[in-house]
Order: sequence, then structure tokens, then C-alpha cells
Amino acid sequence: MKERIEKAYESRPRRWIFEAAIAAVVLLLLIWSGAGVETSGTTQNGGRIALNILSGIFHPDTDLLFNLTTEGVPYLLLETVCIAFLGTIVGAVISVPLAFLSASNLTPKPVAFLGRILIMAVRTVPAFVYGLMFIRVTGPGAFAGLLTMSLCSVGMVSKMYIEAIEDLDTKVLESLDAAGCSAWQKIRYGILPQLMPNFASTAIYRFDINLRDATVLGLVGAGGIGAPLIFAMNSYRWNEAGAILAGLIVLVLLVEWISTKIRVKLARG
Amino acid sequence: MNLYDRLFPPKTFQLENGKTVKQRRSRMPLAVLFLVIMTYLSVKVTGFDMKILISRINQFFVILAQMFPPDWTYMSQVWEPLFATIQMSLLGSVIGSVLVVPFAMLASTNVIPNKAAVGVMRLFLSIVRTLPTLVTALIATYIFGLGTLAGTTAIAVFTFAYIGKILYEEIETVDMGGFEAMEAMGATKTRAFISAIIPQVLPSYLSNCLFCFEGNVRYASILGYVGAGGLGLILNEKIGWREYSSVGMILIALFVTVFFIETISRAARKRLV
Amino acid sequence: MIQFEHVYKKYPNGFEALKDINLTIQQGEFVAIIGLSGAGKSTLIRTINRMHDISGGRITVDGTEVMSLQGKELRRFRRKIGMIFQSFNLITRTTVIKNVLTAFVPELPGWRAALGIFKKEEKLSALEALDKVGILEKAFVRADQLSGGQQQRVALARTLAQNPQIILADEPVASLDPVTAKQVMDDFKKINQEMKITVLLNIHHVDLALQYAARVVGIRNGEIVYDGPANQVDEEVLNLIYRSDKEETA
Repeated sequence: MKERIEKAYESRPRRWIFEAAIAAVVLLLLIWSGAGVETSGTTQNGGRIALNILSGIFHPDTDLLFNLTTEGVPYLLLETVCIAFLGTIVGAVISVPLAFLSASNLTPKPVAFLGRILIMAVRTVPAFVYGLMFIRVTGPGAFAGLLTMSLCSVGMVSKMYIEAIEDLDTKVLESLDAAGCSAWQKIRYGILPQLMPNFASTAIYRFDINLRDATVLGLVGAGGIGAPLIFAMNSYRWNEAGAILAGLIVLVLLVEWISTKIRVKLARG
Repeated sequence: MNLYDRLFPPKTFQLENGKTVKQRRSRMPLAVLFLVIMTYLSVKVTGFDMKILISRINQFFVILAQMFPPDWTYMSQVWEPLFATIQMSLLGSVIGSVLVVPFAMLASTNVIPNKAAVGVMRLFLSIVRTLPTLVTALIATYIFGLGTLAGTTAIAVFTFAYIGKILYEEIETVDMGGFEAMEAMGATKTRAFISAIIPQVLPSYLSNCLFCFEGNVRYASILGYVGAGGLGLILNEKIGWREYSSVGMILIALFVTVFFIETISRAARKRLV
Repeated sequence: MIQFEHVYKKYPNGFEALKDINLTIQQGEFVAIIGLSGAGKSTLIRTINRMHDISGGRITVDGTEVMSLQGKELRRFRRKIGMIFQSFNLITRTTVIKNVLTAFVPELPGWRAALGIFKKEEKLSALEALDKVGILEKAFVRADQLSGGQQQRVALARTLAQNPQIILADEPVASLDPVTAKQVMDDFKKINQEMKITVLLNIHHVDLALQYAARVVGIRNGEIVYDGPANQVDEEVLNLIYRSDKEETA
């Protein structure tokens, strides 16, 4: 009896060596990272600056916030929404063929692998690089911004499309087959109804993200609310920055609330 | 939604045996109408023009073509900012994801019974989440000066907001039996949280942190644009000087790094869940 | 009339699923096929509408030789044979009526099939089919919100809308609880008696088979070992069908 217990104790899983090794590696990486941070730039009055910024942001410039010309926050927000909206649509459309090409249950392995590498490459290039490249095509402004948004959307959207395609329930096809449906009827009535809600949901989710990320475009002069925001911040006009941020935060929260509702509806019916 | 049904009353089908069924009007036409209007408006506002796009899209590939072949000799100068980018994202991810734990705990309805407190905490997390990372980074450079500390801060703030929401949703779906048993045995809330909830949440929490870290490496490369250190700094510089073969080198280095980190972290995440 | 003449089926891996099957089923019969898992029940059913090919012999349905059919002819042939599956095989993310309407798809003109436009008569006959299996009120609900038994009835309604002469059912009640299973079997019986549709189903539960079917076919190792009225199946017959090979050699 005692022997058996001892034996069981002896054969206990010895995960701790593995876990300790992982912990040590992570710790070393952290120390390395911590050592690499440059703190020399911190000035004595950093705290005071922070307070200035905060007080500016909490006293937004209401003239700018409710100004209805093309300079005002409402129009800038509209422009941002339009860039994000059309960018999402174009990106979502481009993603469809890309996702079908890269779904491992449809295409041969090497093709699917190449497709995935391409998607990853598209995702890796930072948005402002695309922005600069598109400005050559269209000139500065919202058009360049929307093209940039489209390309940035492709990476994530096609990745999620691929997952949806790989999760397809193929049993439905069997029953359509038994009912005498032709190949394309099986696609239209067996596959599309499964994918549509999924694709729509992904696109709505991406619209959310695009709206959040739209500020990046302002950096390179590709339209939207980013440019005036960065400009205001660079010239220490914190009241203006506060007004723009207030508008942006309210808009993003509102859109997120609505899009979550629609996506829940799509998922549960 | 009921308003919609009143405006467009359900359609009634009558069968031969007299039975009837009502079909609620589809929302599809409304959705299509909305999409068409929004698309039209967006095309107008952004000045989208297919003709320009088709006739000038080759300009896009002009820069792309100049990036290849990349300037391999430039790689020697890429290492340092590349490591800085990884350091920023690693440290920022860890700081953000550790700091957010108590906040996420306070935003979970099953740990904190007070609805108002939970609501306030969630609103706070939501607002932090809407702050564009670029704005946080820019503000951080004013406070901490130019350099990687500012970038680390921006990434920590982003991670804080991203993990916060996922974590409190995760905590809320946890099986509460163990927590209640611990409390009944006289443990404090914190003690009960540590021994009953953390083991259940830990694997997915770590997995989400790793996922966030993957994304942060990518994101950290943008932050340099506002002076917050890392690859973005040299990327901005080289683009400014139109040294596109160097830009190509930086992008390839970034791609390979991201590929490695994603592969390792995906393998780790598979073991976790 | 379904006729099997010396039918053989060999899978590419060499496994012989059917050996010298001879079987005649008249229009309007209710036949249950019983046997152990892997005995060839499912294969037998699926050869009739050529979801599986056979490797020897002849299967004819109303005089048509099944193995001679190709492409369009095969699809037209399948229109008159309905099929029900263990896992229901519905498109769960759309409404019940849309699932039933897919039964009409093969007969629609191309443009209507592409756009998914159905005429009022088609919608009405889909609703009638749903009424026959007693779930008319669920017509505009999404299929994933129904219980397992209700989903199998939707599948049944989809098959009925096809207006078939034969219904093949592959373990139709295997994933249902006993009470729901009985209800679905009642539906099969009603359809068989009122509409004179041939019902051919394979089933794990012997008691359900004996209770509902008029005729029972017992299969063991790909061979028919019993074929006769349900009320003559006794202990001895069941032993013959379900006795495993191990006991045989012992």
C-alpha cells in the first residue's frame, strides 16, 4: 500500500523544471527590456506638463466642438467616419478572394501558405507607410486615407474570413446534394448563408477599429480628424486637442455600442 | 425594433386549411438602404474617384519597386531600433497587463455586487480604450521626453485598456462555486479571488496577453513616428530622405521579427488553452 | 419499387461493406434496417440515391438503373428521393422556411435561384410541409433556436416539400432523446400512411424499429441475414443479427 503511494508520488509530473525555465527566460527578457528604456529624456517638470495637458483636455474648446464649418469637429468626425466606412467596405471586398485562396480546406497547401504569407506581409507594413505611398497616387487628403484604411483592413479581415471558411459546416452540402442541387446551387444555398452573417460581423468589427485608428492617417496628411489633432497637440493648444478628443471618444463609444448590438443580433438571430 | 414592425406590419400567409402565420418584415431593405446612403455620402466626402485610382495606381508600385532589392548593408543600423521596439512592446505589455488586473476585478459584476461601481469602472476602461495610441504616445513624449520610455508608456496604456475588457468578461463567465466556498470558509475577497478565480482565468489571460504582445510589436513600429522610439524613428527618417531601399530593409526586418514572435507565441498559446 | 440484384460494395481500402444484396421494396412500404454499427446499414441506404457508388450488381428504382445516371439526370432522379440525416444537416443560421425552400432550388430558373426569389405558391407549399410536421408556428424563427426534435422535423418538412416518392432516413433519431425520437417516428408513420411514400430507414433502437416498421431487414457484416415482417422478429432472429463474430467462433 505504502509502496504504491510512494510510487505515485515519485511519478508525479515534474513540470516545475520546464516552468522554472520559462519563468527564467521571461524574467531575463524583462530585465533586458527594462535596461533598454531610455529615461534620460525625462525632465523635472514632466509632472507639471502633464497637469497642463490634463487641464487643457478637460476644458475643451467649445467653439471648435460645435463649429459647423468644414474646420469644426462635427465635419471632421463625419469625414473620419466616411474614410473608415468606405475603407472597411473596400477592404472587406478585397479580402473575400484573398481569404478563399488562403483557406486550407479549399486550396492546396502551398497556395494557402503563400496566401497567408502575403496577408501577413500586408499586415506588417505600418499604416503611415501605406499612407505615404497612396499620397503619391491621389495627392494628400481623404481619398488617400480611405485607400490606406482599405489596405490596413485587409490583413485582419481576411484572417477572420479564413477562420469562418475553415469552420464551414459541410454536412449541409450533403443534404443539398441528396436533394439534387448542382454545384453552384450548393454554394449559393449551402455556403453563402453560413458565411454572410460571419462576414458582415467581421466587417462591422473592423469598422470599429478603423474609426479608432483613423488618427494615424492624420500623421501623413491623409485626411480625417488625425491631422488637426496632432497639429493642435504639437503646438500645445490643449483646449483644441481636448475638443477633438472629446468628439472622437463620444463617437467611438457610440459606434461601438451600436456595432456590438448588431453583431450580437447577427450571431444569435 | 418594434417601431419598425409597426411601420411595416408583418405579412400574413394563409394556408388552404385556414391556418395563418405571420412573417415579420425583413430588416434587409433597411440595412441595404443604409449601406447605399453611407457609401454615396462617403464617396462624396472622401472624393473617391475610380478613374484616378485606375490611371494612377501604378504610382503606388513605384515606391514599392524602389524598396526592392533592399539595402542589405543598412541592416547593421536596424538592429538597435529593432531591439528597442521589442523591448518597448514587451515591457509595455507586461506593465499594462499586470496593472489592469485589480481594475478588471473591480469591473466584474460577480466579484463586485455594486452596480454603480462596476459601471464607473467599465466606463473608465472604455474611455481609455478609445484614446488613440498615437495620442497617448505624443502626450508621453511631452512628459517623459523623446525616447522609448514614452513608447513603453503608450503601449502599456493600450494593453491596459485592451486586456481590461477581455479580462472582466472572462472573470464574469467563471464558475463561482469555488469563490463562494472560499468566502464561506472565512477567506477575504482578495484571498478567495486568488485561489478560486485566478486558476480558472489564468490560461486565457496569459494567452490574451501574448496575443496583445504580438499586435504591440507591430504597433510599436508606428510610435517612433511621433518620437516615441523604436523602428518608426528610422522609418520616418528614411522615408523623409526617400531612401526607399533602406525602408525596404526595415520592413523586411520587421516582417521577419513579427513572423518569429507570432510563431513562438502561437505555439505557446496552443499549450495554454 | 426499389430493387437490389446481387449488389456488392467494396471501399477503396478493401473493406467489403455489402455482399450479394438482394432486396425488393414495393412502393409504400415502411422498412427498418437494423444491425450493428459498421454492418453496412448506412452504406445500403446511401447506394439507393447514389450518394455511394456500388462495385457490383444492379440497383433499379422504378426501372431506372441507378448506376447508369450521370450529372443532370442523376440530380433529377434524386429529386424524387428525399433524404434525412442523423445530424439534421440544416443551415442553422437562416430561418426555418428558408431551409424548407431550398427543396425547390433545383427546379428554379437560374436567375431566381441566384437571387433567392421564391413565388408565393412555393412559400405556401413550404408552409404546408411545415404544418404537416406540426411546426408551422416556427416558420420564421432561425433554425439554431429550435430543439433537436424540431430541427429534425424541419429536415422532414424540407424533404416533404420536395414531394418525393421515397424517403431514405439515415439514423434519423439517433441524436434525439427517447420522447422526441418517438414523436419523429410518429411523423414518419403518418407520412408513410397518409401520403403513401416509401420509408426506408436504418435505426439503432430495435424496439422503435419493431414498433413502427412493417418490415424489418437485418444486416450483419454486409449480408442480409433476416428479411421479414416486424412481428415475426424474435429473440432468435435478433441473436442472428446482433451476435458478434467473437461469439460465433467461440
